[in-house]
Amino acid sequence: MTDTVKKRLIKFLASLIIFGIAILIIVYNLRDNIVYFYSPSEIIENNHTGSQIVRLGGLVESESVVSDGDSIFHFKITDGQEQISVKYQGILPNLFAEEKGVVVEGIYMNDGRFIANKVLAKHDENYMPPEVIKSLKETGKWQE
Amino acid sequence: MSLAISYIANSLLILCLVTSIIQSRFLFKIQNYNFLSISQISAIQFLSILVSFFILLFLFITSDFNFDLVYFHSHSEKPLIYKLSGVWGNHEGSMLLWILILVLFNFLFSLSKSSSQKFKEITVAVQSLMIFGFVLFLLLLSNPFNINNENFNDGLGLNPILQDPLLAIHPPILYIGYVGFSLIFSLSITGLLTSEVDKKWATVAKPWVFAAWSFLTAGIALGSYWAYYELGWGGYWFWDPVENASLMPWLSGTALIHCVVVLQRRNTMQSWTMVLAILTFSLSLAGTFLVRSGVLNSVHTFASDPGRGLFILIFLFIILSSSFLLFALKSEKINKPSLHNISSRNTGIMVNNWLLISILVVVFLGTMYPLATDLLYNQSLTVGPQYYAISITPIIILFLFFMILSPQLSWEESKLLKILNEMRYILISCLTITFLTTLYFDLFNFTEILIIFLSLILIISSLSSGLNFKSTKVIVKSNFGQSIAHAGFGIFMLAVVSNAVYSQEKIYDAKVGSKLQLDEYIFDFKNIEQEEKDNFNSIRAYLSLSKNGKDLGEFSPEIRFYSDPPTITSETSIIHRFFSDVYVVMNVPQNQESISLRLHIKPFMNILWLGVIMIILGGIITAILNRKKNEENAIN
Repeated sequence: MTDTVKKRLIKFLASLIIFGIAILIIVYNLRDNIVYFYSPSEIIENNHTGSQIVRLGGLVESESVVSDGDSIFHFKITDGQEQISVKYQGILPNLFAEEKGVVVEGIYMNDGRFIANKVLAKHDENYMPPEVIKSLKETGKWQE
Repeated sequence: MSLAISYIANSLLILCLVTSIIQSRFLFKIQNYNFLSISQISAIQFLSILVSFFILLFLFITSDFNFDLVYFHSHSEKPLIYKLSGVWGNHEGSMLLWILILVLFNFLFSLSKSSSQKFKEITVAVQSLMIFGFVLFLLLLSNPFNINNENFNDGLGLNPILQDPLLAIHPPILYIGYVGFSLIFSLSITGLLTSEVDKKWATVAKPWVFAAWSFLTAGIALGSYWAYYELGWGGYWFWDPVENASLMPWLSGTALIHCVVVLQRRNTMQSWTMVLAILTFSLSLAGTFLVRSGVLNSVHTFASDPGRGLFILIFLFIILSSSFLLFALKSEKINKPSLHNISSRNTGIMVNNWLLISILVVVFLGTMYPLATDLLYNQSLTVGPQYYAISITPIIILFLFFMILSPQLSWEESKLLKILNEMRYILISCLTITFLTTLYFDLFNFTEILIIFLSLILIISSLSSGLNFKSTKVIVKSNFGQSIAHAGFGIFMLAVVSNAVYSQEKIYDAKVGSKLQLDEYIFDFKNIEQEEKDNFNSIRAYLSLSKNGKDLGEFSPEIRFYSDPPTITSETSIIHRFFSDVYVVMNVPQNQESISLRLHIKPFMNILWLGVIMIILGGIITAILNRKKNEENAIN
């Protein structure tokens, strides 16, 4: 092996190792900061309780929205099979409405309630989050 | 009538298709066609698309609902400016705008005098081949001139959230940036084909690459400012897939502009420049079309059509594979042995190139990971903003360090101790300022203090290197653009960190007459009124802002209820003060007694935008200064 080839090989291996370590750190960090999305059925079935922040999506059940002042809201999210009670303190997005699609982010408690710290809504009144469409299709509740 | 217009417009598109084939003849060594010059044919290409674009504008202005596009995306009651912006507020129209800019760049380049005739011929040929592909795509898969046989009385497109002046000019600016990189791509392909990637190549490419980069920066900034005041979430960047899609070409484009400078000055880094040029354009393509085709799920997406996404993926694959194949064949030929010392400016720029690419990898993985898990495991997930903050912060600290160091290094060889000695006053003064700020504001996070310290040095050292202070007058040096942009980045980073640390928000359930407080600000909730406007009803709250008994202005946040289509929008109300923005968002009232109001204090927002404007200006100044220099050289 000549010297130049050796040098090149060392250079190549060194950069490969550095690059590999960098990617590992990034992916490791990525896995720590993932927010999973579940439908009410999935969250009950797999019992995702605990301190992990997750997203829950479905339709806001009709006549389930109650406000008790101080910007605290209670409502139920359903996918046609299961439903979950959600408590949220904050400002609801403008397009939040009963029987419309919604995605909330927060923690699913041991007692079966969901404490949301974010309610996400989109621009268009006809817009349905794709995850919600997917979960409604799986339970057969999706209507075109 | 409509049929005739559609016929004319389609013929114009076909005319462009034909002229593009003629223009690409140089690639196939067919030279014996000399009826018209290159710039004349480019003019026909440009005019054919320009006229069809004007036809589409005309259709939107006159609300001709016989055209599908107008029917779906316009409405007779829309204000004129939004009828116009409706042209590119949809997939087909934005494609036409994209192609218009593509042919415009081609035309402008065919007029330029900075390169040799042969070089120009091949570049225009490559560019025309791309024009051919896109016009074909437009004609077959997303034709804006499709007509229907119904007699619709009115259109469907009156979405009020899209009726916003910033959103109207955001796409054209962003597209000029994206498409500008197409010319750099064509120039690179030409450079590879002719094995001429050298100082001369860099001199030709430099003004174009700086112009494209400046527009891309401005486009991203406009989108960010729109999100800041329209979405009312208090943030200006959400690491949303669509935002990331525009950030990725910006990151590689930023690396590219620095490489072009190195290539021009030192005639080295040829291969790397080519890789970046190809990468930047590919990312621009992916950015526009994956967004428009709805593959990326986000707040900004319009509609989805998998067929179009597939076409773009195939197109992207062809461009990427053929250009990298060409690169693999030619890279040995274009590379000149580089003879630079390790402690030279090349090294500094190279390190920061790698750091930019590292950030690009972070953003890429964060954007693609959810797509991959959805496809592979049918598991939907999102990547939290924390991922980006944690991964990017250490890279940014190194980046700032080398951004300060590199311009101090000479192109030949430098002694680090000498630089340290030259910078001693700047270092000492910045250390003092940082120390005082830390004490005054009770900062204790080491990372934040470090970023503030480095940003301060960057601002001062950049400004002092671009200006020469002689006893009585200030002389602007030739690296003025660079110094403005670098100082702007320092100001931007300073504002980003301070904003993240000092932002405050609070939600109140407020009654009329109550006084609300956030930090030292007092919000006096005076009144709430209902109003009826032309096409919406509104509820408006009135609050006045004061601090230490001093009156600072009035807020009037608003909720608008549109009937057609039924949509509710909230209008944030912002008072811009020099050091911080104060803003109020109101909620749709749930009961009669009280109303939810969200109050925000966002410090340093004005400073943040100032930094961004300086970055853009720096790019434009460099492009113009360089163009002037080129013209002078051409004359001599």
